[in-house]
Amino acid sequence: MLESYGYTLVWSVGTVVFIIASSVALGWIARLIVRWRGGSTIHQQNAFAGYAFAAPWIVGFVIFVLAPVVASLYWSFTVYRLPNPPQWVGVQNYVRLLTDDPNFRAALVNTFYFVLFGLPAQLVVALLLAILLNQKLHGERFFRTAFYLPVILGLNAAVLLSWVLMFNANNGFINTLLRTLSKKSTLFNLLLRAFIYVNESLNAFFLGVQSGNFTLFEKTISAFPAAHRVPLWLQSPLWTKTSIVLLLVWSCGSMMLIYLAALNSIPPEFYEAAEVDGATRWQRFWKITLPLISPATFYNLIVGMIAIIQMFEQPYVLLRDSPTVAQSSYTVVFYLWRATFRFNEIGYGAAISWILTLIILVITYFQFRLQDRWVQYDLR
Amino acid sequence: MRIRWLATLFLILALALAACGGDTGGESSQPSEPQQEQTSQTAETKSEEPAEESTSQQEESTATESGAEKVTLRVMVVDYIKDKTDVWLENEVVPAFQKEHPNIDVEFIYVNWGTLDETVQGYFAAGEGADIINLGSEYIAAYGDRLAPLNEYLGEEAWPDIKQFVPASLDTVTWKGELRGLPWLTAPRAYMCRSDLLAEIGFEQPPSTFPEAIEEARAGTIIEDGALKRAGIVTTGRLDDWQEYIALIWSLGGELYKENGEPAFDSPQARDALAFMYERRRAVYPDETIADLPEATGSRLADGTAVCMWGNLWGAPPVDDPLWEQISFSPGLTDPDNYPESRPVVQVFNDWLAVPAYSKNVPEAAEFLKFLGSAENLNRYNKDFGSFPPRRDAWFGYVEEAKPMQIMGDLMNEYGRGFADIRETAKFREILQREMSAYFTDLQDLDTTLSNIQSAYTQVLQDAGMIQ
Repeated sequence: MLESYGYTLVWSVGTVVFIIASSVALGWIARLIVRWRGGSTIHQQNAFAGYAFAAPWIVGFVIFVLAPVVASLYWSFTVYRLPNPPQWVGVQNYVRLLTDDPNFRAALVNTFYFVLFGLPAQLVVALLLAILLNQKLHGERFFRTAFYLPVILGLNAAVLLSWVLMFNANNGFINTLLRTLSKKSTLFNLLLRAFIYVNESLNAFFLGVQSGNFTLFEKTISAFPAAHRVPLWLQSPLWTKTSIVLLLVWSCGSMMLIYLAALNSIPPEFYEAAEVDGATRWQRFWKITLPLISPATFYNLIVGMIAIIQMFEQPYVLLRDSPTVAQSSYTVVFYLWRATFRFNEIGYGAAISWILTLIILVITYFQFRLQDRWVQYDLR
Repeated sequence: MRIRWLATLFLILALALAACGGDTGGESSQPSEPQQEQTSQTAETKSEEPAEESTSQQEESTATESGAEKVTLRVMVVDYIKDKTDVWLENEVVPAFQKEHPNIDVEFIYVNWGTLDETVQGYFAAGEGADIINLGSEYIAAYGDRLAPLNEYLGEEAWPDIKQFVPASLDTVTWKGELRGLPWLTAPRAYMCRSDLLAEIGFEQPPSTFPEAIEEARAGTIIEDGALKRAGIVTTGRLDDWQEYIALIWSLGGELYKENGEPAFDSPQARDALAFMYERRRAVYPDETIADLPEATGSRLADGTAVCMWGNLWGAPPVDDPLWEQISFSPGLTDPDNYPESRPVVQVFNDWLAVPAYSKNVPEAAEFLKFLGSAENLNRYNKDFGSFPPRRDAWFGYVEEAKPMQIMGDLMNEYGRGFADIRETAKFREILQREMSAYFTDLQDLDTTLSNIQSAYTQVLQDAGMIQ
C-alpha cells in the first residue's frame, strides 16, 4: 500500500517538475528566437513570460493531442493488431472502408439518420422549451432545472436502465400510456398508428439503403398498422433508431439554455414596436425572434451536429443487452470503437476516425460558408 | 536571482528524475540483491522465452513465499451474482486464502458479458490489467497465445487435484498442449418445460423433434392486445440465439467447419437448422409486430410466462424449488424425418479462469487458482448458479441431492458436447447476430442469409490467417 502511495507521489512530483521544466525550456527557446531575430530585451522577456505561461497547455496539447493525432494518422495506413507491431499497407484500410465494408456503410447511414432526424428534433424541442421558459411563468426556475437535469444526469447506467424499462414494448411506461390513450380515444389511436406507419416505413427504407434490399420496406408500406399496435422501441430494428432520437431530444437541455440566453438578449423594444405596428404573435416570432436568435441556432447546429456524428454512448448502453438489433443503430464512432477495442484492429479503427474527421470538417466548412445567408449577427 | 531560481528548479528536477529512475529499476528497490536482478533480467526476455520466464517466476514466487514482497492479485470476474458471489469471494474466499498466503492481496473487478470482449482486449492492448481473467467456453482460440502456460503450476505433477477435473472441461482450457487456465463452471443447456402447462396444450412430454417443437411453440403461446402474455418457448433474446443455432447444426450431424477449415454454412444442416428457427419464431411471434414478454423478474418457468425454455439452470428456478416437480427435461431437438442420424446435443459451457501472459504475478495467480479450484470452493461457487463444478469430487451436496442437477448431469453425460473451438468468436458472433436478425425480421431470405454468413465468416478466417 505504502509502495503504491510512494509511486503515485513520485509521479505527481515528477509531473509537476516536468511541467515547470518544459515551461522554462519553451520560454527560453522563445526568448532565443526573439534574440536571434534582433528583438529588444523587453521583447525577449515578454516572449519568455508569454511562452512559459502558455507552455503547460502547449506541452499538454503536443503530448495528448498532436502526438496521438500523428500516431493515428500513421496507424491508419497500417495493419496494427496488438501485440504485433504495425505493418505498413498504404491506403488499403481506406479502400476497404469505402468500397468493401457494408457494415461501415450501414454505420454511416445510421449516423446520417441521426443527424437528419435527431438534430432538427433537438433544435425544435430546445427552442420550444426555451420559449416556454421565457414567458416568465410561475415555477420557471423549477422547470428550467427540470429540463436541464438530463444534461447533468448524463447517460449513466441508472438513467439508461430507466429508459430501457420505460421503452419495454410490453409493459413499459411509454407503451402502457400509449395503449391507455389509444383505447380511450379513436383519434389518438389513429394518430398513433399513422406515426407507427410513417416511422416503420422510414426506418425500413433506411435499412433497405444499408443492405441494398428493399423487401422489408415494400412489405411495411403495403399495410397500415393494426389497431392494437404500439411502438416496439428497443425490440425491433425498425424502432431502435427512433428510440435513440427520443433520447437525444430528452437531453436537449444545453441547447435550450443557449436559446434561453439568446431570447433574453433580444431588446423588448423590438417587440413593442412590432406590436404597435400591428404584428401578430406569429409574425413577431418569425420576423424578429427567429432571425435574432440565429447565431444561437447556428451554434447549436454546429455543436449538436458534431456531437451526434460522434455519438457513442446512446446505442452502446441502450442496446448492449439486445445484440441482435443493436447493429441496426451502430454509429460510425460505435463502429470505430468496435473495430479498435472489440476486434483489435487498431489500424482500421484509425482509418475510420480519419474519415470521420474529414466528414465533420467538410460539413462544418459548408455550414460556415452558408451562414452568411441566414445567420443574423447584427442587431441594428 | 534568476540563476538561483533555475538552479533550484534543476535540483528539483534531478531529484524527481532520480526518484523515477529508482522505481523503474523494477520490482527491485534494492538492486544489489542478485535474485531481484535476475527477475528484472528475465522480464526483458519474457516474450521470447516463455520457459525461462516461468523458471524465473518460480524463483520470484519463492521470494514471495518467503515474505520478501507483498503482491496484489487483480481478478476479473464475469460469472457472478451480485451481492452473493461477490460477498462470498471477498468475505470468505480471500480471508481463507490469505491465511495460507498472507503476502498476497486479492482485488476483484466485476464486469458483465456485454463488455467482456472490450475489457479483455483493453488489458491485452495495454499489456496491463487483471492477473486473472474470467473467460467463456469458446475463448481459447482467441486468446490462447496470449495466456500464460500453466502446466508447471496446474499440471498433474505440480497439482494432483487436476486429475479430478472432467477431461472435456480441461480441453476447453488447453492450447498448444498447455493448460492456460482452470475451469470453474460447467453449465449444460437443455430444454426444460412446465409439465402442467404442457398438459394444458395437449403435450405429455417436452418436444423432441423439430415439428413437435414448432407445434408446441404455437400451442403454448398466448398473445393479447398485440403483446405476448406467454411464450411457448423462450431462449436468450427472441428465439434468435446464435449459440442455439450452433447446437441445432450439431444435432443434425453438421459441423461449423469443413475439413480444410472453411466455414460450413453452405451445408444442408446449417440451412435446415436456421429454417427451423425461423419457423419456430413465427410460431411464437406470428409477425414482427408482436411486443415481447415483459422484463423478467425471475425465472420465466416459475412465473409461467413461458411453457418451455432452452438454457442452463441459471435462468431456471432455484434447484431446491418445489416447482421442479412440475418441470420436465429434453436433451434437445432432432429432425429424424430428414436426418435419421440426428441426435440431441446438450451444449456444455465451461467458463474458466486464465492468467494473461502479461501478468507479473503468474505463480501467485496460479496459487489462487488452485485455492479457488478446490472441491469445496467449486461446489460452493456453482451452487448459486445451478451449474456443475468442473471437478468430479466436487459433485456432492446440492449436486447429488437436487433432482434437476441429477437430470442435467445425466443428460450432459449422455448428450454433452463442449462449446469450444469457435474460431474468431467475437466477429463470428456479430456476423451470426446481424444475419439472423436480418432473416428473422424478413429483411432478407434464407439463401441470402446463409450466403452472407458463409462469405463474411470465410473472409474473417482468411484475415486471421486461419485459412487460405
